[in-house]
Amino acid sequence: MDKKLLLVDDEEGIRKVLGISLSDSGYTVFSAENGEEALKIFRKETPPIVLTDIKMPGMDGIELLQKIKHANPDTEVIMITGHGDMELAIKSLKYQAVDFVTKPINDDVLEIALNRAHEKIRMRQQLREYTENLEALVREKSAKLIEIERQVAVGQAVEGLSSAMRNIAGDLEGGLTYFNEMPCFVSVHNSKLKIVAINPLYKERLGDKVGRNSWDVYAPKTGAKFRCPAEQTFKTGKGQRTKATIKTSNGDKAPVIVHTAPIRNQEGNIELVVEISADITEVKRLREELRRTQQRYQQLFDEVPCYISVQDRQFRLTAANRRFKEDFDVEDGAFCYEAYRHRDEPCPNCPIAKTFEDGQSHQAEMVVTSKAGKKYNVLIWTAPLRNTVGEITHVMEMSTNITQIRQLQDHLSSLGLKISSISHGIKSLLAGLDGGVYLMDTGFEKEKPERIKEGWDSVKTILSRIRKLVYDILFFAKERELKWDRVDVLSFVDDVAATVEPKIKAKGIEFVRNFDSALGAIDIDAGVMRLALINILENALDACIDDKTPKSHKIVFDVHQNEAQIVFDINDNGIGMDRETRENLFTLFFSSKGNKGTGLGLFIADKIIDQHGGKISVESKSGRGSSFKISIPKRIPESVKATSEKPASK
Amino acid sequence: MPKKILIIDDDPVVVKYLTAVFSDNGYATCSATSSMEGLDVVKKEKPDLICLDLQMPGEWGPRFYRKLRKDKEFKDIPIVVVSGIDGDHAIKDAVAFVKKPFDPEKLIGIVKMTIG
Repeated sequence: MDKKLLLVDDEEGIRKVLGISLSDSGYTVFSAENGEEALKIFRKETPPIVLTDIKMPGMDGIELLQKIKHANPDTEVIMITGHGDMELAIKSLKYQAVDFVTKPINDDVLEIALNRAHEKIRMRQQLREYTENLEALVREKSAKLIEIERQVAVGQAVEGLSSAMRNIAGDLEGGLTYFNEMPCFVSVHNSKLKIVAINPLYKERLGDKVGRNSWDVYAPKTGAKFRCPAEQTFKTGKGQRTKATIKTSNGDKAPVIVHTAPIRNQEGNIELVVEISADITEVKRLREELRRTQQRYQQLFDEVPCYISVQDRQFRLTAANRRFKEDFDVEDGAFCYEAYRHRDEPCPNCPIAKTFEDGQSHQAEMVVTSKAGKKYNVLIWTAPLRNTVGEITHVMEMSTNITQIRQLQDHLSSLGLKISSISHGIKSLLAGLDGGVYLMDTGFEKEKPERIKEGWDSVKTILSRIRKLVYDILFFAKERELKWDRVDVLSFVDDVAATVEPKIKAKGIEFVRNFDSALGAIDIDAGVMRLALINILENALDACIDDKTPKSHKIVFDVHQNEAQIVFDINDNGIGMDRETRENLFTLFFSSKGNKGTGLGLFIADKIIDQHGGKISVESKSGRGSSFKISIPKRIPESVKATSEKPASK
Repeated sequence: MPKKILIIDDDPVVVKYLTAVFSDNGYATCSATSSMEGLDVVKKEKPDLICLDLQMPGEWGPRFYRKLRKDKEFKDIPIVVVSGIDGDHAIKDAVAFVKKPFDPEKLIGIVKMTIG
């Protein structure tokens, strides 16, 4: 390594001390006391590293740095700065100094700076070597290419052969793809109509006919009209295409398509003819095999117990299996999100889009809607389909219907719901048990046998309640038994409204009660119906909060009646819902609120209303708000009463 | 004269428990097992503090609360909610919410802080 170093400083002391320690480190040190002198030495010695003071009379360090970098950009310059000259130091870095050291100079700091300079020089050298290697590589490769091109320079024979082959390939439906599979008999004929060369397959199947007549292989029954293709080619000077029958070496006959091509010498006269025959039976056999394979795939495609579709980058369905077509609308050019989920735009978290992006398989679980309006939970797998150059052109999607599994899960979850609904009961039981224990403890303490007895009675009462609860859980009723009650509608809805009103008003949203004053009474389980209505009202509240448009928001709670029903209308002018949200509204764990929602609220509301023999319907549009209409019969239908009063535990 | 506490809870065991805890700490008590009954007892006994459960058959605690506050005479009686459910927003000016099962000493602490 070039260990020359130029040291520039106007203080002789520094030049001397630094000079000595740098020489000790193995550098050949040149020193200068000002910029001008430094430049002179630099031009003469071209040291790879320059160490210069910044503040010097005359030309200062920064100017010297610029001049050196201008003269030889590869030179690494380390600046020496006085204490507090940080601005100058930074300025010097801007002018490409490799580092700076501050006075008084610490040997370690200087060493780090020098190492950095060396590192930079070394890197630059390596880079240069790589670049040069690359150039050598390019030279080598281009030399090879030229060689190949030379080899590729084709003669007439090759040209004729390839044109004949192209003709044959054109006759076969699959085109050139099947060429390797194609059994061709290739022979070369001379102007005396003798065979001069044949390919291995020819020799194997038709026998070694070299030296024989060109027409020898053809079956005589081809008729009088048949002319030897090679002969025709010599006569007309044009390539021939004809059907013929040939005799194989074991005496069989095979129909073939014969192609010929003339091979001319430099004078333009036909010297040879290439004849290529394709065995049609073999081609037919291959075609049949292909058809059968395709059929097998088609069968597999149609019969697998899942929905399979192939989609392009726009999510357009380009193929779908029978099961898919059975359950979903697949018109020509239908989009996946339309057919599957009745959406107007691609679904968020689309696994297909991800596969197009990264070429990997992706999974997702979604709720889709069939053409009959049924909801299916599907588990989706995707796989990329690539073209011959490896680009992903389509993605295949396989969806397994897991609705039944989900239904089972729903059932389990509703079990969980019931357990949570009795958790209030459990808390009260614990409080009661605490009470019994408290009475007994204090009774013993105060020696009051009455109190002990009182406490023990409490414990016994609670114990019997616990027993009942445990049995209730063990013999878990399929449907929650409703506690029917004749309830005054007006005071019931007043109560519901009063529960949500403070919350709504706190958000600055208007709340309107619109109650018919003569609503009368209704048969309901007030506790659970209250829960259902509160759930829907709170959803309306969320819909208003989530709507970021500046309009003023309003929730209208309207309760009126018709002959047999009480009708609860809950309207909001919040964000509203798209079709997908509307259709999935009452699905367990469907939530449009991200982390905010549990996906339980409307599922429960729907269940409760259903248990009351009632109906819930929704009208909503994105950006326009939603309105829920709940109709509950004033009198419970006997059928409903019967099913809900029949404890399933018995 | 000792301060008087009204206990409203539909569970007689809990009523008995609370009665014992309060009287052991030198308070007079009265009780009701429903909202309706509670309003009558308030009028009759004029308690210094009400200990209220939220979930009860018939009218819930919040309804009792609204009716109580409408009456000028009772609009300042402090209320401590003792319940197994969350109902923070239902009783706006409750002194405290104590969740069942509760620690009696903590409850007494709250009551002492409120009415001495």
